[in-house]
Amino acid sequence: MSERNVAGLLFTAEMYGVQLDQLAVELGVSEVRARALAARWREQGYADSARLGPGRPWVWLTRAGLLACGLPYRPAPPALARLAHLRAVTAVRIALESAPGYTAAGAHWRGERRLRARMGSRVPLREHLPDGEVHWPDPGETPAGAAVAAPAWAGECWAIEAELTRKTVRRTAAIMTEILTRTGDYGCPAAEVRVPGVAPRHARVLYLCSAAARPTVVRARDALPGALAVRVEIRGLPASAALDAGRAAREAAT
Amino acid sequence: MIRRYLGFLMLRTLARIIWRLFRVAVFVAALVLAAPAVLVAAYAAALAWFLGWPPRHLYRAAAWCLPMLAAWLAAMAAGGQPPPGLAAAPYLAWLAMWHEATAGSYLKAAVTVAPLAIPLGLLAGGLAWSWRIYSMETGSGGLAPSAPAAFDQRQWRHQVRTARARIAAPGSVPLLLRDGSVVAGATIRTVRQPARRLTVIPYPRLRSHQVVLGTTGTGKTTLLLRLWAGFMARGMALHAAGRAPRPLLVVLDCKGGADSRRIADRARRVLRATGAASTAIWPDEASLSLWALPPRQLVSTLADMVESGTGGAAYYADVLEEIVRLAVEAPCGPPGSTADFLSRLDANWLALAYAGVPDGGPAGLLRSSAGHVSDVALRYRALLRRLGGGLDGPGGFGDADAWYCILEGTAEIAVAEAQARALVDLLAWFAAGGAGAGSADGAGVRRDILLAVDEFSAVSRRLPIWQLYERARSLGLAVQVSAQSWPGLAADEDERYRVATTADGGIWLLRTPHPEPVAALAGVRRVVDTTRRLLGVPFWAHEGLSRAEGTPVVDPEIIRGLDVGQAAYIYRGGVTYVQVKRLVAGPAELAGPAGLASPAPGAAAGAPATASAAAGPAAVAAGDPGAARPADVSALLDEAFGEEQ
Repeated sequence: MSERNVAGLLFTAEMYGVQLDQLAVELGVSEVRARALAARWREQGYADSARLGPGRPWVWLTRAGLLACGLPYRPAPPALARLAHLRAVTAVRIALESAPGYTAAGAHWRGERRLRARMGSRVPLREHLPDGEVHWPDPGETPAGAAVAAPAWAGECWAIEAELTRKTVRRTAAIMTEILTRTGDYGCPAAEVRVPGVAPRHARVLYLCSAAARPTVVRARDALPGALAVRVEIRGLPASAALDAGRAAREAAT
Repeated sequence: MIRRYLGFLMLRTLARIIWRLFRVAVFVAALVLAAPAVLVAAYAAALAWFLGWPPRHLYRAAAWCLPMLAAWLAAMAAGGQPPPGLAAAPYLAWLAMWHEATAGSYLKAAVTVAPLAIPLGLLAGGLAWSWRIYSMETGSGGLAPSAPAAFDQRQWRHQVRTARARIAAPGSVPLLLRDGSVVAGATIRTVRQPARRLTVIPYPRLRSHQVVLGTTGTGKTTLLLRLWAGFMARGMALHAAGRAPRPLLVVLDCKGGADSRRIADRARRVLRATGAASTAIWPDEASLSLWALPPRQLVSTLADMVESGTGGAAYYADVLEEIVRLAVEAPCGPPGSTADFLSRLDANWLALAYAGVPDGGPAGLLRSSAGHVSDVALRYRALLRRLGGGLDGPGGFGDADAWYCILEGTAEIAVAEAQARALVDLLAWFAAGGAGAGSADGAGVRRDILLAVDEFSAVSRRLPIWQLYERARSLGLAVQVSAQSWPGLAADEDERYRVATTADGGIWLLRTPHPEPVAALAGVRRVVDTTRRLLGVPFWAHEGLSRAEGTPVVDPEIIRGLDVGQAAYIYRGGVTYVQVKRLVAGPAELAGPAGLASPAPGAAAGAPATASAAAGPAAVAAGDPGAARPADVSALLDEAFGEEQ
């Protein structure tokens, strides 16, 4: 199996499922080529695909595919109610990974599915999991021992939240506080989740918002204490995050 | 007879056609003979069209080629060509070029004629491009009636693309030029201003009043940061050369909230890169002392900070002011702190303080107002508690090179108004040569001050902005007023016009939905408008009328359509549209040990901490109000998600 196939399978598994246009962008191939790859995976029994909603068909990994990747996730097609959210999160990940600063720093993405898998059945009822984490490695050294240039945020871990719909300001502020004050990794013992005096797990939380959700998120951030508020970054979702973004792009082109 | 007449008409038509064909043939022959220069001219004109250049760029390029022409002539002379024969050198080169081309040596032919053809071609291309622009601007060019408008829109797109490419090129847009002018960004288009590649603001204009208007998300902060950085960098250079006092930047951000704190952090890092040794963020990390004001000024400031109302309430205002005067001007000296002042607002304390004063005035005053002292004390206790410790010292404007003052004008308007009043009074006193407001610099140290106020109208109920303007003008302060819209500039129309028309350093206009009042201040210019006869099909004839008429220098439609990071700079009846170059802030400094903030060199004890912008989760303890801010990741997020809208 080629490197591209492996990368595509792992990406699809991490994101629950992806649409073909996003898979094509992630792998740097045309949509036709991505469709052919998905067809091959389906023949091999690693993946399944269907047109679940607006836009391109979705691809997700079957039990055999997840086993082949060595990932302990529960095989299931993307839930219809979460299609828009899954697409938005995938668009955010693709946008981040396309930034030269991201690749240069060697950052990596840790998706919600992985976090949830780490927690197993211990996810408390009101526990909030971010849609992803971005880990920025500490500065390394060249073989000669010289320090490698690293961004100022090297060594940090960021929480990523894709916000499509409006929650209440109170709930959003509570989620922000929960993320920013957490000290332990997901799946850690309960006593380590919030330890006073220990550095927080997430140096900042990055909110990618739709136009509808943005005012609420901004108000929630303003409601936080100053030391927490400065760690909340708010940006708009990429244009490709919309479920029918492909169709809109085609219409704009014609 | 009719046949003869028809024959004559046919002959005349034939003669005209032949004459036209002859002219075309001569024109084509001339183009072919001058093929090298024509090719260069066509390329140059096409390039100017594609990049949206003004013709001046081509003329300048042609001028830069003259040394090549001179060197070529010198080489000819050195090669044995007698001076009289040099006059024929261009002709001989042209002849040699055709011989080489005929022989198939195209490269050699091109090299032979290049010294002559390139400058000539650039000049011809510039003239042709200039004629094209002129014919479109006057409405006499183009095949369809909509051609001039389409040409203008297309050129705007080309000019924007070129400006964006220029600011994206590393090192192409420095902050300062050699002559010390501040570079705002790459020029998109100019009207009645010099057409330079970079938009340059001479430093003296930053020392004059300026106005900045633009809605949220249009790049106003980016522009302001650049102007502040330019002011600081140039001011520091002049100060280092001993030609000017040390610069001082004071920013009053009247919005407040988390956004203001993020901008403050960014400003600190940008200013640090320009040489500002310390940037104090008030009231979060630094404080000022209201009690350093001279007693008379302190009485006035304290009285103005309390809202007293009008009409019958004016009596109460007078009583309040008198009681404050008694407390401040007590024989034992003015109060040194909030606690000291509040302790004096007590009838017994005042009676004791003035017991030994022979003059009976204060004693009488005390007797008549004794019943109000406790009410006045209550009001000041509440007000000063809400103001917090930001005005209770220690510290003064002289302690830092830049002050970023955050007023919570959105959340707590009454408090922000009182703070604004106090800060402006403190700065005015400092600028007037006050004792440095507790400065370590010593008394009477003069500074070149730029006061930047953002959305000041939100807190200017008790200090109208024109008063601030007039006061600043008399003290030699430069004031930079920024607002999100024309109505946000001041409370009423008269004030707005007063502020805008006295902005002798220029007006910066970013995208705003109602730019007409400001656009109108740039005036009109005379342009030629041409009406042409339609031939029944959507083509124009070469017959029509031209007349001069006035058109606005600043087109409000362009302002409404400006993109993020684009601005119009209006100055002396002209406008320069600019793509502002974003300043990338340096990384935050590493945090020192917890609880230790390193003061700026030379700062007084208790001076603002200057290097507490820290990065990393370790420095950002959860919920710790003293924790520093994380590193600025705007550049990375811009890369990934585009610039913030």
